[in-house]
Amino acid sequence: MLALAWANLLHRKLRTLLSALAVGIGIMLMLVSRGLASGSIAEVNERMQSVDAELVVLPAQDNIIFTNGAPFRGIHERHLRDLADADGPLADLVIPAFFGQVKMGGQQQRLFGVDPRQMAAFLGERRVVRGELFARAHAFAKRVARGERPPEDMDNLAYQAYLADGLELVIDDRLRRVGGYQVGDEITIMGQTFRIAGVIEAGVAGRVFAPLQTLREIVVAGEQTASMYFIRLRDGLEPATAAERFATSLGSGARVELKSDYGRLLRESFASVNLYMNASSGVALVVCFLFILLTMYTMVVERTREIGILKALGVTRGGLVQLSVLEALLISVIGVVIGIALAFGARALIGVLVPLLTVALPVEQLLLAIAVGVIGGVCSALYPGYRAARLDPALALSHE
Amino acid sequence: MNDQPAIDVRDLHHAYTHGGVTEPVLHGIDFRVERGEFVVIMGPSGCGKTTLLNIVGLMMRPTRAAAVQVAGRDVLGLNDAARTALRREQIGFVFQRFNLLPTISVARNVGLPLRLRGIAPDGQVRVLLDEMGLAAQARKKPGGLSVGQQQRVAIARAIVAEPTVLLADEPTGNLDSANAAVVLDLIQRFHRERGLTVIMITHNEQLAVEADRVLHMRDGRFCE
Repeated sequence: MLALAWANLLHRKLRTLLSALAVGIGIMLMLVSRGLASGSIAEVNERMQSVDAELVVLPAQDNIIFTNGAPFRGIHERHLRDLADADGPLADLVIPAFFGQVKMGGQQQRLFGVDPRQMAAFLGERRVVRGELFARAHAFAKRVARGERPPEDMDNLAYQAYLADGLELVIDDRLRRVGGYQVGDEITIMGQTFRIAGVIEAGVAGRVFAPLQTLREIVVAGEQTASMYFIRLRDGLEPATAAERFATSLGSGARVELKSDYGRLLRESFASVNLYMNASSGVALVVCFLFILLTMYTMVVERTREIGILKALGVTRGGLVQLSVLEALLISVIGVVIGIALAFGARALIGVLVPLLTVALPVEQLLLAIAVGVIGGVCSALYPGYRAARLDPALALSHE
Repeated sequence: MNDQPAIDVRDLHHAYTHGGVTEPVLHGIDFRVERGEFVVIMGPSGCGKTTLLNIVGLMMRPTRAAAVQVAGRDVLGLNDAARTALRREQIGFVFQRFNLLPTISVARNVGLPLRLRGIAPDGQVRVLLDEMGLAAQARKKPGGLSVGQQQRVAIARAIVAEPTVLLADEPTGNLDSANAAVVLDLIQRFHRERGLTVIMITHNEQLAVEADRVLHMRDGRFCE
């Protein structure tokens, strides 16, 4: 039967190829959309895990991806610093982060506003590969820490001079390569011209860092606000217990999560987008398999006489369904191979066009694609196979 | 079991229904063919010859019959699967239009009945094709053969699994006289050498000469 199914497909090479291509495009869409989602989530999570902290404090909202602004105020930071037990403060280090947006390397990047004096917590073992780590911004941070503020009536030139030391950026090496940036390049963010001061190894929480104090000055006139906090705990504290205590202390406006849970939170936040992407690729796949169904059905109609011959030779109804399923399976398997090849091709293309996007194509996703192809192939062959099996042999033989 | 006739049909009626109109085709046919017999059925187009052949070949069910036995087995009560199995095991077909599968080679066409019985076609196909002068065509697709060669392939396919009955529906109808003679000669040879029961429909009086018995049909009945 397999040889016959294969021969039947080869007899109509172009149609077989087009059908397989349709399946391949569907499989590719499924793999790439899922790969984009899971790859991006995994990559962001991996980078967040590099921060030297155990807890994250986030705004009390469901979605942690689409967060903007800085809902936390200075009082939150003080609460976090001051929360203590008999052995002293629970937090060894509270790291505020202030998020902005910047378009670099051909796509929007989250701008991580961090205190230059706390960069070590983000850097860990990673090195500065070019330039320096906020050399001048340190001085600016110290001035702000001393309470220096520009007077209300300061003119623009004087304001620029006040900000000048704080207008530094540190980027990661991957962004540098993708965007072709050099130390000293100038980038305009929110009307201010920042200068790239240094480049660090990739894998840190953000791709673009700016001094926290600078962003606060530009966006909220120096208010001690933050988008989120990382908390490094005092040695010996149990993170989950400490998280509960911080959450109670902060009240309803914040959620305190284990940093190790960040991946799960990302996936949950991405669920609705994932659902949409899965639904879209699912619809595409259904259309592809309808295409196979139509192909198989057309083949049944075209080959009515041959089906009559097979019946005359003693092929059972089950055998005819099996033949139909085998043909559809062969188309699907070829389609899956094409789809996987296209997915790797698309990943390579995305790597060239949008290099900072990560498309994950793990083995389990490829196995899922094979399973979808096989199940879809079988399902789309059942009705045409049933029609073939139901044909009256004598009538089928007299079919012109 | 082998004492029983190859085909035994009693009081067979059949009618086609198209768009609510019933058209009787066979009227109380009694028809018995002994094992090893060569029977030719002749008659004008539309008289019911092919319908009768399709019924004894288990390709269709009669509207009504007292009995239809094939290879000693009563087939009226058999379900579709059992009829298919019996057809596969006991009956070989040769058609006017050859009815070879165009997508597979000559050798695969001939070997198909064996494969359907779960037998790997080792030497039989090669020997048979050799015997029929088709060895050189074994790997070709049927479309690449002459009509005479195609009908010889069809005969090889029909007999390769050694059926009890060979049903041939105007096997020479599409052939010139030279090819028709070759085909008839082959059928006669297999009938003679292998004791094959043959029921052949033909319009050609000359081809009927070699038959053990010639039956004439008219208006759905056998006549003298």
